[in-house]
Amino acid sequence: MVKSSRDGCNPASRRRFLQTLGCTGMASLLSGSGLFRAEALPRVEQSSADFEEIPASASGISWVHVNGRSPMAHLPETVGAGCAFLDYDNDGWMDIYLVNSGPCDFYQPAQPLRNALYRNNRDGTFTDVTLKAGVPGDAYGMGVAVGDYDGDGFPDLYVTQYPHSILYHNNGDGTFTDVTAKAGVGAPGWATSAVWFDYDNDGRLDLFVCRFVDYSKAKLKFCGDRLSGERFYCIPSIYDPMPCWLFRNNGDGTFTDVSKESGISQSLAKAWGVVAADLNNDGRMDLYVTNDTVPNFLFANRGKGRFEEIGLLAGVGVNAFGKPRSGMGVDAADYDQDGWIDLFEANVDHEMYSLYHNDKNEAFSDLALPTGIGAATRLMSGWGLKFFDYDNDGDLDLLLCNGHPDDSVDKRVEDVKFLEPMLLFHNTGKGFENVSRQSGAIFSKPLSGRGLALGDFDNDGSVDVLISQNNAAPVLLRNNLGRQNHWLGLRLVGTKASIDAIGARITYQSGDLTRHQFKVGGGSYLSSHDPRMVLGLGKRTKIDWLEIQWPQPSGKTERLTDLPVDRYITIVEGQGKWK
Amino acid sequence: MASAAAQASQKAPGPDASSSAHLGISLAVKGRCQEALPILKKAAPHLADKQLKYQAVMSTARCAMSLDQTETAVEVLLVLNREFPHDADVLYSTTHFYSELASRAAQELAATAPTSHQAEQLEAEAFESQENWDRAIAEYKKILEQEPRLAGIHYRIGRILLSKSPADAEGAKAEFNDEVKIAPDNASAEFMLGEVARQSGQWDEAIVHFSRASKLDEGFQEAYLALGMSLNSAGKFSDAITPLRNYVKMQPGDPAGHYQLATAYARTGQKPEAAREMALQRDAAAKSPRSAQTPK
Repeated sequence: MVKSSRDGCNPASRRRFLQTLGCTGMASLLSGSGLFRAEALPRVEQSSADFEEIPASASGISWVHVNGRSPMAHLPETVGAGCAFLDYDNDGWMDIYLVNSGPCDFYQPAQPLRNALYRNNRDGTFTDVTLKAGVPGDAYGMGVAVGDYDGDGFPDLYVTQYPHSILYHNNGDGTFTDVTAKAGVGAPGWATSAVWFDYDNDGRLDLFVCRFVDYSKAKLKFCGDRLSGERFYCIPSIYDPMPCWLFRNNGDGTFTDVSKESGISQSLAKAWGVVAADLNNDGRMDLYVTNDTVPNFLFANRGKGRFEEIGLLAGVGVNAFGKPRSGMGVDAADYDQDGWIDLFEANVDHEMYSLYHNDKNEAFSDLALPTGIGAATRLMSGWGLKFFDYDNDGDLDLLLCNGHPDDSVDKRVEDVKFLEPMLLFHNTGKGFENVSRQSGAIFSKPLSGRGLALGDFDNDGSVDVLISQNNAAPVLLRNNLGRQNHWLGLRLVGTKASIDAIGARITYQSGDLTRHQFKVGGGSYLSSHDPRMVLGLGKRTKIDWLEIQWPQPSGKTERLTDLPVDRYITIVEGQGKWK
Repeated sequence: MASAAAQASQKAPGPDASSSAHLGISLAVKGRCQEALPILKKAAPHLADKQLKYQAVMSTARCAMSLDQTETAVEVLLVLNREFPHDADVLYSTTHFYSELASRAAQELAATAPTSHQAEQLEAEAFESQENWDRAIAEYKKILEQEPRLAGIHYRIGRILLSKSPADAEGAKAEFNDEVKIAPDNASAEFMLGEVARQSGQWDEAIVHFSRASKLDEGFQEAYLALGMSLNSAGKFSDAITPLRNYVKMQPGDPAGHYQLATAYARTGQKPEAAREMALQRDAAAKSPRSAQTPK
């Protein structure tokens, strides 16, 4: 795409933003941020637990999710909500966004409810700035996807809700503007997870929005005990599936609904989770969508704006018995370092979760059983989850939050609980080891876990965790283990690629350790993550070299040497250096 | 085949059969089964009136049970189920009568051979049906103390160990292995050994056991499916095709067979066959919808 010379100084022009830092004045903005200073929060006290829960009294996060549980057992009540780490004010410190329920046809809160944006005070505490920022939500909130869709350097918020969603544009001054109508991304219906990614390789972030079933107060069905009249939450098999949305970014603050022409809407969904990643290494971002009671989708991006749904034949659509499961949380990462991105899917109790190894050729094998993940998750119901290297040893581990969707399940199903603990699997290099029990008291604590976001809120290189619970307070976990190894944190800034550089591949060598990581879009459940990547080095103190293969449209590879360790750096596409 | 005259006689019974039936039913209602039973047995086969015949045969069954005439009771139950299929009363009575028969046989077993392994096994099975796993295992172990090489007992214990929560897969595996030492032709034990291996992702071991199970019992449908699944999981896609073809012939309505066969075809480059099987999988899955509520 040819751009005029004026584009370089147009704040609305995302692609050229960092090519022209000088004229926009944003170089000073970035250079003044913590990204360059990257000072870690001093540790006042050390905890022996690998993951340590930070109480609300210490963090200042007093906000609580309210689900509005009603005797009618409306399904949205039990599945929300999501959370995010984002640096909304570009100060280099991760802030927090939490999604709440709100008014809709089946729910009128007795007290007003709102989402919450917490600014990171850089001292381990957070301040609620929601009202000033203007991001309270306006319906029954579900999830959040963070992405700088207009490339102005400030992350924007897409908040999924029932019965319509919101796009909040970040004004860059601590406030946001609801631009949903202008952008054309309202997505009427029940939206769940969403992801920003560049599906057409034009360097702009497009938006995929998962849609769950055709739902409204009038369409509520009865599931429960006919004699007593007590309702339970229905398994969604009795509700009709609906198509998901794909919105193409027009580059002028508006989007075009391309769900139909892209082939996305041909597949009727009951979608909870989505991750965007190049699963067949063809340079185009594919989508893996987890569905509940209908087969999962693997939308293979065939180029020219078209997707082909290949989930069943790829081996990720249904279980080994050919039946759909209750696909909820999802993520994608090359956990075994073979150069091909693998997938993970969390399901409901008695279904087991799936670790789908990428066998290349658009085919996957479920390795949940041989890795022990199947046995560990047989009775669990999983939502937010993410691959990440929590101990910075160079291998990608796996963290999951759980909780059954039916709050009466304890009474009715043996061995299954509504509140369930988190799970942590350590990647040993040969497989996964369940290390939950030895990783902190939080892994014994029953939670109604839903959203899970990763983010290094104290900038110490140990990636921390935020869990959003259903009808309860969020859980903020400090990772005490990662900083015991060496690491390098990266902020990638695309210039030809989308500014968030989703789809980038990082390869690095540190002595005998060669590793790569892919920057995927989305993953987890209803949640969004710290956009920075942390590369684990173990006890090695030096990085020999690092290569970045930038996403299309450039697709170029840059190699950097003489890199620091144990701090964050920023790498801008095309500059061949770090800051 | 009955003669035409006999058929005519049965189709047009005389008034005597009807009167006798009424008399027999009346006597049975009053509990006078000794008198009622011979009358009912004689009259019932000649009754044309369906409702009267139903009442007469049901009364015959009740009296036969009360008089301990098991053979007569079983005969008339077979007649009832043949002539009045799907009738709720017949099914209820049948259940009741067979249950009573089972109970009597069990009492007789307990009275005549209380220390026999059959008596112990019956007790163990009763505990098993109540999901009283520990008591059931204890009873089965008593049998093994008496008859260490009795076939089927280690298999039963193994099944229970897998049913417990949490399941004891290693213990179960040991029991199934003991079973196949005693009864090398026990296809079920081989199958369970395969299943234990499959559940822990030990595909090669699973393949060996499922393969043996399907050879020991050529009609063992699940063994073919499990063998095909394990071969697919082990990446032996071309080997999986034959057992999976066998399975889908036996169980064309099971989406699992079609899904696994489609996978095997797809991974061996047979795309049209894969597409065909995947379409069959979709059809089969659509015909077996899940419950709308949390499964109990």
